[in-house]
Amino acid sequence: MSYFQRIKSFVRGFFTLLLALVLFIFPEKGIYIVAAILTLMLFVYGFRQMVFYFSMARHMVGGKSTLYRGIIALDIALFLSSSVAFSDYIVMFYLIFFYGFSGFIDVLRAFEAKNNGASLLSSKLITGVLSVLFAIALFVTGIIIGDKEVVVFGYCLMLVYSAVVRIVTTFRKTAIVYIQ
Amino acid sequence: MNADFHYYATYCAAILAGYSHSESLDISYSDRFVDSCTRTFLDIIGGEPAAATTQLNLELMDARTDIPGLQDITRIWASFHFLPKDLQAEPGNRCSKRYKNKFRLICGTNGELLKSTVTLAKGKSLQAVGIAMHALSDTWAHTYFAGTPSLVINNPYNRFFEIMPDGSERKITFRHSASQPDDLEKSIYTSSLYSGSENSIMNLGHGRAGHLPDYSFIRYKYLPAWGNYEETVKDNPSDYKHAFCQMIYAMKYLRSEQGEFELKRYDFDAIAEIEDEIDRIITTRQLDSSGDWKALGEKLSGQKIEPFDIEKYQAEYINASKENKDNTFLGRFIIASLAQKSMVTNKIYTSGNKLAGYSVDYKKRGFRGIKAYRKLVKEDKK
Repeated sequence: MSYFQRIKSFVRGFFTLLLALVLFIFPEKGIYIVAAILTLMLFVYGFRQMVFYFSMARHMVGGKSTLYRGIIALDIALFLSSSVAFSDYIVMFYLIFFYGFSGFIDVLRAFEAKNNGASLLSSKLITGVLSVLFAIALFVTGIIIGDKEVVVFGYCLMLVYSAVVRIVTTFRKTAIVYIQ
Repeated sequence: MNADFHYYATYCAAILAGYSHSESLDISYSDRFVDSCTRTFLDIIGGEPAAATTQLNLELMDARTDIPGLQDITRIWASFHFLPKDLQAEPGNRCSKRYKNKFRLICGTNGELLKSTVTLAKGKSLQAVGIAMHALSDTWAHTYFAGTPSLVINNPYNRFFEIMPDGSERKITFRHSASQPDDLEKSIYTSSLYSGSENSIMNLGHGRAGHLPDYSFIRYKYLPAWGNYEETVKDNPSDYKHAFCQMIYAMKYLRSEQGEFELKRYDFDAIAEIEDEIDRIITTRQLDSSGDWKALGEKLSGQKIEPFDIEKYQAEYINASKENKDNTFLGRFIIASLAQKSMVTNKIYTSGNKLAGYSVDYKKRGFRGIKAYRKLVKEDKK
């Protein structure tokens, strides 16, 4: 990574941590902040898809689909930004899907490693099972009981994880030595 | 290419190049082992994770696609399975630097990196020879795909036609069920799922074209993502025969005292007496040609070829003392793997492309970066 990329990674990690802290302190307003962030992310995604089309995908056979995807994403982001009533449910389903899917992949990874001779009881299995359990807990508390604060805490955890990974990445050694 | 070619065909080529039975077994084992040396395996034996030469499907699913993650994936796949043909290649149209960098990693035959790969193995271990043969033969199979995740390079248009031996064409259908074997009778093949994300691991290498590039018998035509709507024909029987004869030439070069490895040279003379047999094996419609290549290998050497066993050298490495690990079979493989990665990363980096990461010239700047590569310094001092 270049110095600029390292600085960018650290700054993004730092602000993500800060955001998690704010949400943790003010969970009652958190669901709307989270919804706003996700809508903003969709805007950014749509915009990036369009940039991607003009810088790369226009050279690709069938690349126009990227342009359409960008336009549709921007359209959905506009719709979401004007319909706050649905936003908490969208956030909840997003989080449940995120934790459930990543947990499922971790469990599969643990079994794949076992098939290749490693022990089944690994950090992957533990994080996988915990993530799946957390997704179930979010579903019960968020969707069935209707407690939105738990969802905010769930989102905080995701932010903290992402921030820590970014900060750790900043300090990772990535260069490879070459001997002529 | 599949295990049949990387193990048994490489054994045959090594025998024809003049190696003994046991040397040929070591070379073919190392060639085949490139497809098995994952981080999971290296974790089990306590080896250097940086020496991984491939990734399991779920390792890939789990891999981060941030900058260091993508560089790590590219180092593995571009170094061992998709050697770029031309690091200065120019796409036809005006395009961004980002697109150009991906385009320049497209794998192809007889590139300068192939020459560097074979030359790197000269005077080194048999494991290094095996790794070089893996990279060489894969340049023939994996032509037109890049060893980095890329939608715009590796996602061909979804219209493939198989060209049958009688010249007729048959539409190829792709499905995404990894548990089901490819159906050769109906031309139904498994491929990775579509993902619209440029850096998704679904768009790594030839995943979107399934195992088509790995079957020696198949001829097919399609529109590569980068091909500007021009139809491309891939003739695997011809390519696999060239790969086999180039391996013989390369291994003869590696065994010799002097000379220079020349691109576009194939030792067709060496197979003159068995050409019909090789043609038959290569063109037979089957998922696995191991049995046929094995029989040919045993006929050539007069020796029994044991099947590939991933655990064969595991205990030797695990039980060796710390000082002796580098002298074991797997220890030598790990050193050869690190050297290949280091060389390919350097060539890509010095071409102005950072997709495989940063390379530090030891002679100019001393040791920097990932610690595992200290082994190369130690090796150099020897």
